[in-house]
Amino acid sequence: MKENVHQQLPSGLEYGVTPLPDRHVVSFQLRILAGMASEPPRTLGLARLVEETLDKGTEAYTAQGLADAFDAIGAGRQSGTGRETMTFTCTVLPEHFERALELHAELLRRPKFPDEAVAVNVQLGKQELVALDDDAHGLVDKLITRQAYGPVAGRHQLGEHETLERITRTDLENYWRTHFCSGRIIAAVAGGIEPRRVADALTRHFDGFGSSRREGRGALPIEFNPKTTHHDKALEQEHIAICWPGVDATHDEFPVQQVTLGILSGGMSGRLFTEVREKRGLVYWVSAWQETPRGAGMVFLGASTTPDRCAKTYTTLLHEVDRLAEDITQDELDRAVTGIVANQETRGDTTRSRCAELASDLFFFGRPVPIEEKVAKVQAVTIEDIRRYLTLHPRNRLCVITLGPRPMVGLDAPAVKAMGGIGR
Amino acid sequence: MIRMSEQTPYTLHTLANGLRVVIERMPGVRSAAAGFLVQTGARDEVPELAGVSHFLEHMMFKGTANRTWGDINIDFDRMGSTYNAFTSEDRTVYYGWVRKADLGKQIELLADMMRSSLPPDEFTTEKNVILEEIAMSKDSLEHVMFDFLQEKVFAGHPLAWPVLGYDHTLAAMTRDKMWAYFQRRYAPDNMMLIVAGNVEPSEIIEQAEACCGSWKPAGPAPPRIVPPVHSGTDVLPIDRFKQQVVALTFPSIAATDPRIETASAAATILGGDNSRFFWNIVQKGLAPRAGAQHLDYTDCGVMILYAACQPDRCEEVLAAIRTEAGRMCEERVSKQEVDRVKNKRRTSLAVEAEAPYYRLTQLMDDMEDHGAPRTIEETLAEVDAVSADTIHDYLQACPINIPGHLTSVGPRNWPEV
Repeated sequence: MKENVHQQLPSGLEYGVTPLPDRHVVSFQLRILAGMASEPPRTLGLARLVEETLDKGTEAYTAQGLADAFDAIGAGRQSGTGRETMTFTCTVLPEHFERALELHAELLRRPKFPDEAVAVNVQLGKQELVALDDDAHGLVDKLITRQAYGPVAGRHQLGEHETLERITRTDLENYWRTHFCSGRIIAAVAGGIEPRRVADALTRHFDGFGSSRREGRGALPIEFNPKTTHHDKALEQEHIAICWPGVDATHDEFPVQQVTLGILSGGMSGRLFTEVREKRGLVYWVSAWQETPRGAGMVFLGASTTPDRCAKTYTTLLHEVDRLAEDITQDELDRAVTGIVANQETRGDTTRSRCAELASDLFFFGRPVPIEEKVAKVQAVTIEDIRRYLTLHPRNRLCVITLGPRPMVGLDAPAVKAMGGIGR
Repeated sequence: MIRMSEQTPYTLHTLANGLRVVIERMPGVRSAAAGFLVQTGARDEVPELAGVSHFLEHMMFKGTANRTWGDINIDFDRMGSTYNAFTSEDRTVYYGWVRKADLGKQIELLADMMRSSLPPDEFTTEKNVILEEIAMSKDSLEHVMFDFLQEKVFAGHPLAWPVLGYDHTLAAMTRDKMWAYFQRRYAPDNMMLIVAGNVEPSEIIEQAEACCGSWKPAGPAPPRIVPPVHSGTDVLPIDRFKQQVVALTFPSIAATDPRIETASAAATILGGDNSRFFWNIVQKGLAPRAGAQHLDYTDCGVMILYAACQPDRCEEVLAAIRTEAGRMCEERVSKQEVDRVKNKRRTSLAVEAEAPYYRLTQLMDDMEDHGAPRTIEETLAEVDAVSADTIHDYLQACPINIPGHLTSVGPRNWPEV
């Protein structure tokens, strides 16, 4: 197996390559170290508008011309805006790698932000906000994020109607000029390609692109707000989200948190699925997951159920989190560890997953992390580690959101310890 | 009855009881995927048992003569399997994706589940889970829209009812009725075991014989009836949604038709990423979402053109959809448009070839639709054969510039019927 490559180019661009010589595709991700958290408060939604408008006309291409150029090489591409970064991901046959990178450089370096495209994307953004109101899961995610992270890290990518109204072409251009430069780009590449080709292409297309200073790598301000809030909405089900602070992706105890979540919700034998769904039939959907912005971690529980079963579902969720420190078995621990390790190996057969893994490593750890190293840390987790983790991170300050036709009666923000989908 | 092709990586084997075993060897990968495909789904139900196929799929996880539901879940998780099941109108699938070394255990577990005891004491609890799933689907505009469209377009046929069934059919369902359905539909001569990965075919066949060889066949399943595809207009006003979804549905070809890649390309040109809908509807600011989907079964298919928009813009959005549909039929698409679609399809096929789970799902489609697995090269040849001419001929045979069926769901009672 060839070794991972990790370098910084003179332009300031940091890149990594996972060479997979037997693969017939190449996947790459360009991560710009700027996202929603970099938006001025009066123009929330701006980062996503920039991302959506970058490819709607550049110095060399019209919007459709650029889309056609990508299609001419069969590029499968996606982009997204997060709180800390914007990502541009692409999968192509190896012979088209350089062309795909050239086209990405074109949209990242030479966008024109045409007035008409800006106006259309503002208009579409407002319509997307309306559409979000028809998406119960999306809406509850927006609500818990805002409450859990506070006004900066808790922003939603769509912004708000009034902030979208204010956004002009000048705002997009200013955001782009301030944040798009080689020093703020991390590139991850995996697949059937020689690292030399990657270095050459990145040098050719990103040399001289703005500042080479390494910026955008700090942690975000997070204002955790523990309270229970109900949002009234005419729905068939009551949607519950519970959250509390955990550890970040680089923390020594992150593998312990991973395994703890595995015990709670790693598969159908996980405690939440077993107790809430299999034994009691309270829900179709129940889940636990984590988010790890730089320097922080959040643990979430979610479930949706019809209103008459809401209180029972809620107390069952919290009870499971409560008892977790008391009666973990070695078999549960082993299953959770196996789930994480096996997932690494099966997903590892796809080039896109390997690229995503590398991109994540570079962002959080500043280096490619060998799979063996990650696996060893997960496999070293013991029951005592989990008990210690649960003691050091008490779940007595919860952020709770309910969205649905009626609030839970008699259940306020609980002084309950708490943690932790799957569905068929 | 083993057939191993020298040109393909496939092995096909049929057990004496009729269970077909399909294996694709994928040297170089570290994982393997296995699944049972049962040729039964919502369209095989009688009206009073609407939803039984899906409910049964849930019950298949609830216990066997050898395992409780807890044992089943634990055994999956001990392997670290990525596993699940799903039910559609015409099939029910159970699968697991594991590390190569665990494939034997995965097949044994899935095979044991296929002889479920449908534990009576789990029946009511799981029924509640399904009722929650139905409630959840009612909170999704997209789900409500799709169910309503199927109900009206295929009215009078089993394809008209939702895979999940209805509250009232679930409430009336008994374990005995489900058991009878199970015995009829989960016979080995109505099922396939499909495996993909870095595997040794002879070992898989040996295990299939050991795990499934004693299952009793039930004889041929009753033939499915080809559904009608209705035209007309149907509106479902629902105040609590903010958007309106409008959809036009037209009769098209079945999944088994040799023109299926052409139909798929036509849908992509009209409603894919870099499509006519994207540039002329979404990027004109008319609607945030607009697309085209070719929905196909083994004996029928429809082309669905849809958009989600603000309720007061329904007229102009529908007009824009009809304009683009008319242009597709009346003017030949360009070679560049066709090439774009084909290039992206080539990349997606290369990605598909990497992972056993992706290949497993494609093999299931191939076996259902063509009765045999197809290599990536065979599929590529079909993709390469698509041209502006084949799209033109397809749209002449399956026009989308006719009234079709209009479905409208959302807060506005539009059009007034």
